[in-house]
Amino acid sequence: MALDSYRFLDFASRQIMKAWAARREPGVIPFTPLAKPLDECTVALLSTAGVARNDDRPFDQEGERRNPWWGDPSFRMIALGTTEEDVRLYHMHIDPRFGESDLDVVLPMRRLTELARAGVVGAPAPTHYSIMGYILEPTELVETTAPALAEHMHAERVDAAALVPA
Amino acid sequence: MGLVQRVLEASGIPTVALSLIPDLTRAVGVPRLAGISYPFGQPLGKPHDLDGQRAVLRAMLEVLASASGPDTYVELPFTWPESPAQARNASKDLPPAPIVELLRRKPWLLPALYSGRIPKAER
Repeated sequence: MALDSYRFLDFASRQIMKAWAARREPGVIPFTPLAKPLDECTVALLSTAGVARNDDRPFDQEGERRNPWWGDPSFRMIALGTTEEDVRLYHMHIDPRFGESDLDVVLPMRRLTELARAGVVGAPAPTHYSIMGYILEPTELVETTAPALAEHMHAERVDAAALVPA
Repeated sequence: MGLVQRVLEASGIPTVALSLIPDLTRAVGVPRLAGISYPFGQPLGKPHDLDGQRAVLRAMLEVLASASGPDTYVELPFTWPESPAQARNASKDLPPAPIVELLRRKPWLLPALYSGRIPKAER
């Protein structure tokens, strides 16, 4: 791996994340082949920036302040066409101002629409999604949130998903 | 993010993830991964850099199409225009995350974060 995964982290975070990576066991990795060419696929985006629409429930920052070992493991739906005017970012471990000044920095729905127009992908899904990426204890994320995300995507006949970190 | 990706993929939806820490995401074991050396908070590029954002998204979507099996990993060739110090400086006026503040007050809790043995609640 030529790319330095830890380049933009401070020293302490670097050590912690290296320790996490060293302890991980990939196990059997799932793989689902694309069922059709990319230029026919409906694509959904998932951001881990903790994006919530202003007319929706915010991610629970107060809960994380009460117990800093906890992070809100729920998800939010972000309708296609939502812009930075309509949302806030609730991830307290990143600078939210970049995504709040231009939502495509973390949830590139407009760029995806452009790529659909250019014929690279088929279409953007009608709904995109966000979770908040600071989750140390992932049981609820894996057992409740992720299956619910899958169900929504299947209901909208999503052919592929692109996950964007924060 | 990698854990969610695995669930989506196993449910029958092909997935690709972009990662700012591909070493860690890859260790989780994911089907398709595109690594990028960009700072946190700006995974697609700078605000209003439409061409740059589109290039990153396009490159990650191409990994969807090109991957022939699990653990496909591609390093994207994009370089960030600032140094890590400059990138961190841009956000140094933000309050620290609650866990950072807690560990400053109680540094003896740091091993719990390293080990991943997360306390139920502690402050």
